[in-house]
Amino acid sequence: MKNPLIKRIPKELKSDWHKYFVIVVFMVVMIGVISGMYVGHDSMLAAVYGGRETLNLEDGSFELNKKASAELLDAISTGKKADVRQYYIDKGIEEADKEVAKAIDEKLNESVTEAITENVKAACEAYGITDEDQIKEQVDEALKENLESALKEARETDEFKQAEKDAYKEAHDKVVEEVDKEWDEAVKKYDLDNPGFASVKTVIYENFYRNESEEYGDGSEEATVRVFKSDSKVDKASFNEGRAPETENEIAIDRMHASNVGIEIGDAIKVGGKEFEVVGLLSYVNYLTLHESNTDLMFDAFGFDVAMVTPGGFDRLTARIHYNYAFKYVNAPEDKVEKADNSENFLKALITQTLVYDNEIEDYLPEYIRQASNFAVSDIEGDSAGAAILCYILIGVIAFIFAVTISNTIDKEASVIGTLRASGYSKGELIRHYMSMPVIVTFVGAIAGNVLGYTAFKDLAVNLYYESYSLPTCHTVWSNTALVKTTVIPLVLMFFINLIVIVKKLQLSPLRFLRHDLVKNKRAKARRLPKWAFLRRFRLRILFQNIPNYVILIFGVIFIELMMCFAFGLPDSLDHYAKEAPGMMFAPYQYMLMGSEDDDGNVITTGEKTAERFDAKNLIYPKKKSTFREGMGSGGDESVTAYGIGNDSDYISLESRTGAGKVYVSSAFAKKFGLKKGNSITLNEEYENKSYTFEVAGQVDYEGGIAVFMDIAGFKEVFEKEEDDFSGYFSRNEITDIDDKYIATVITKDDIIKVTNQLNHSMGGIINIFRYALIVLTAALIYLLAKIIIERNEQSISMAKILGFKNGEIGSLYIIPTAIVVTLFAFISFVIGYYLMIWIFHVFMLQMNGYFAFFMSIPSMILSVLYLLIGYAFVSILDFIRIRRIPMDVALKNVE
Amino acid sequence: MKEEFLEIRDLKKSFGEGEAKQEVLRGMDFTVKKGEFCVLLGPSGSGKSTLLNIIGGIDTPDSGYVSINGDKLEEMNESQLTMYRRKHLGYVFQMYNLIPNLNVKENIEVGAYLSDNPLDVEEVLTTLGLQDHKYKYPNQLSGGQQQRVSIGRAVVKNPDILMCDEPTGALDYKTSKEILALIEDCNKKYGNTVIMVTHNEAIKNMADHVIKLRDGVVRHNDINENKITAAELEW
Repeated sequence: MKNPLIKRIPKELKSDWHKYFVIVVFMVVMIGVISGMYVGHDSMLAAVYGGRETLNLEDGSFELNKKASAELLDAISTGKKADVRQYYIDKGIEEADKEVAKAIDEKLNESVTEAITENVKAACEAYGITDEDQIKEQVDEALKENLESALKEARETDEFKQAEKDAYKEAHDKVVEEVDKEWDEAVKKYDLDNPGFASVKTVIYENFYRNESEEYGDGSEEATVRVFKSDSKVDKASFNEGRAPETENEIAIDRMHASNVGIEIGDAIKVGGKEFEVVGLLSYVNYLTLHESNTDLMFDAFGFDVAMVTPGGFDRLTARIHYNYAFKYVNAPEDKVEKADNSENFLKALITQTLVYDNEIEDYLPEYIRQASNFAVSDIEGDSAGAAILCYILIGVIAFIFAVTISNTIDKEASVIGTLRASGYSKGELIRHYMSMPVIVTFVGAIAGNVLGYTAFKDLAVNLYYESYSLPTCHTVWSNTALVKTTVIPLVLMFFINLIVIVKKLQLSPLRFLRHDLVKNKRAKARRLPKWAFLRRFRLRILFQNIPNYVILIFGVIFIELMMCFAFGLPDSLDHYAKEAPGMMFAPYQYMLMGSEDDDGNVITTGEKTAERFDAKNLIYPKKKSTFREGMGSGGDESVTAYGIGNDSDYISLESRTGAGKVYVSSAFAKKFGLKKGNSITLNEEYENKSYTFEVAGQVDYEGGIAVFMDIAGFKEVFEKEEDDFSGYFSRNEITDIDDKYIATVITKDDIIKVTNQLNHSMGGIINIFRYALIVLTAALIYLLAKIIIERNEQSISMAKILGFKNGEIGSLYIIPTAIVVTLFAFISFVIGYYLMIWIFHVFMLQMNGYFAFFMSIPSMILSVLYLLIGYAFVSILDFIRIRRIPMDVALKNVE
Repeated sequence: MKEEFLEIRDLKKSFGEGEAKQEVLRGMDFTVKKGEFCVLLGPSGSGKSTLLNIIGGIDTPDSGYVSINGDKLEEMNESQLTMYRRKHLGYVFQMYNLIPNLNVKENIEVGAYLSDNPLDVEEVLTTLGLQDHKYKYPNQLSGGQQQRVSIGRAVVKNPDILMCDEPTGALDYKTSKEILALIEDCNKKYGNTVIMVTHNEAIKNMADHVIKLRDGVVRHNDINENKITAAELEW
């Protein structure tokens, strides 16, 4: 025979259908969205990972100052470190030899000339010639006739040969001595004696590009486009639409960028002033997000583009070629640790080999920290992880609502439970009975949610990703993660939270259930209340009686307020940042130069009156490894720009001179890492094993980036810069008299706000939907929680009616305490949610490069409390209706 | 001759501590035979409900023991006690304690489910005169009808002992007599031992065995030779 208690379950569902409906809808939507995100993201990842193989994604890339010789590339691909000592010695000897040869020549010339002159003078004296002019004439003639042969003769003498040999030996010895003297420093600089070094063999591919200007629309719109050749064997592209370029006038560009700026196949765009026809929309495997530079806080699919042209098309362009080389390890590393080790070893080989082949590294980036190929993947994972946590919190809240409801039901059914237990029902049977409802509801929610997840919500998620990233086309794949995270974990959560509460509740003996003796710790005395009006005291009693319910209500409200802060605060923060951006510039124009000298070796100058020189250097600030997201460039270290600022700068004023040991930190830097005056910070060189330690002298109010500032003298001393060296100009006006080829970048307001533009574009629409969903969520949560309070008091409410209390009075008795609690905690929870959000935002920012702070405007603050109160107001009306509907016989029916 | 079925020996139980300590059972001794209709009679505070709870295994004595068919309850752990109640006991309370969202038939099935050899639910419904009401919910029934359901729930298990705690306490005269007649019928028909706690002196006349309690001890322990039917009872 089936347990007849099972028959209660459908009846219970039916009788309280609105409550379960709210809960099921809630769960279906939550689980559906999360499941959709997972399915979407798994499908996306499958496409991305597939692409990495088929499109031959690099293991890393480096850019050299000039085109590498075949010998250099061969040397690098062996993975072996070059003999730097020998290089230094060879180079030293080469220079020394030149100097010695020059010195010997001069000396020999001098002594032979002197000997000839002496001989001629002696001859003249013998002939009695005294006229100085005549003597000089004789000397010149003799020199002209005999110098060459005399020199030759002199060189033949053993004496000369010995002296020459000695001179060279002495010079060579001196070179070796010098090299040895500075060897320790070189060893340290290039980390040459690292016993952990193992050579890593690689295959190296040429992957040159040009950064050109891109004009589209009517020509007024402009972006930067990085143009690659279509015959590249590495880092290839997949085509979302169209095809690869086939003639030199055709171009394929990034799909995301095209969609953002409204370029379509067939459109003509100008790249570097030359016209091209767009024939394809693509996704480069190493540019899933359009990060122009790996240190960018955010990618910029508006202002930056990547494109493919034929080699002929590439030759049509004129911007300087970036000699970029991609490499792949011969033996693919298995995990991240191995990737990091390989990268480190490879870099050592690269640094030493480029040094000995007289080239220079402009840039080095192992793929595993490449933002453009990893950011999207990490972000997709991060998104769903965040959403899953959100889902778990909500399911936790629902589980508690269930637990409290069941706990109330158990209170109400105490005598029935007592009777059943007395009749021989075991605790286990009753636990299973009360557990079945939450488990069934969760199960239904999970199944329906998953069905939606694989259909409607998956496309939603995939489209969201397409809106943000330059991803390849994907196909739905089965996701085990989705199943576990959206079905197994919610069920387990629901199961255990309810199990704990129900087991605890059913611990009491049958007798105590029969006696309705359910309170474990009886208070010796009733709480004394002040001599207030009766109704007021009554209300207070109700408040005290419902404290456990209110505790859950408060948790719900805190959660809602946290979400509100997110929904209102994120767009506010973006707007605020965009609005503050002009103020975050040191100057309206900031020019970074390629070097401080032009091709002829002259220092670059400008006639612009407001221009002011500055020094800058990129360094690395090691982050604490406490971040939970890894795998992107930002996961490891923070990129810091060190500025050397002129003493009477018009653009950045330092309170006092820093000298070599102190720095001022930007306010963004201070906030992100909690730096204070007097703290000590250590910054590392990017590609050398060299660190600098500074004391923080104070803050410079600069929110635009992670930076440190020193006076120019200190900067030059610390970084061993020449007096004439500088990195660029700050200027109020555009500088027009410096050739473009000497300018590396110009930083304007648009560069700073590209972060917010991109975030706004990716999230703008969703945030609004999210906000409205939150109101519904708020109302639903409060509805469930307030319902518990009314249900618990049904009998008392019924009794109050019998005693003659009017509906209005009863409403005021039972609704006002809840209203007071909700209103009070709406404000308190807002404050808690606000500070929690600031913390969460900060933790999130720690994973990224750069910084911008969480900001919420006053109207948003008011609205986020108001929305909650509006949600509650609706619920109060429902509550009042519910109170009116409670019949009087509830109190009279002892069965209930 | 009926065999000794239930044995109660020197049963003591008190509540509270110190000055507030109240001795409810102060050494109680008696035995009940199988199939007997036994009435525990006494005024409020005489310890009859406490005694019933201890016999039912839902309360424990301070000392002494209860033995059913030779098995001592004090030697059973919680799950054995649950099994004991499940297999041997049926409970009828003054308050009917029915499950509000199960109908009459289903409430009776709640009892049947627990038993290895339950009675036929339909037959019990007929016996109790509930056939016409079997699809009604408890709150659609009168007090007497609800008590019938609660008797049905206890009887359908075909228990060895039917424990009745003031089953007519909340009912009027006429309904009380009907309920008593039903319990009597069940006792005769199914042969269960009935232990009924009541403070209604008149009910003793329908019992085989009358135990009068006062201040926690047995004052009288009589076998009723002149038993009458429930219908003949007057009070």
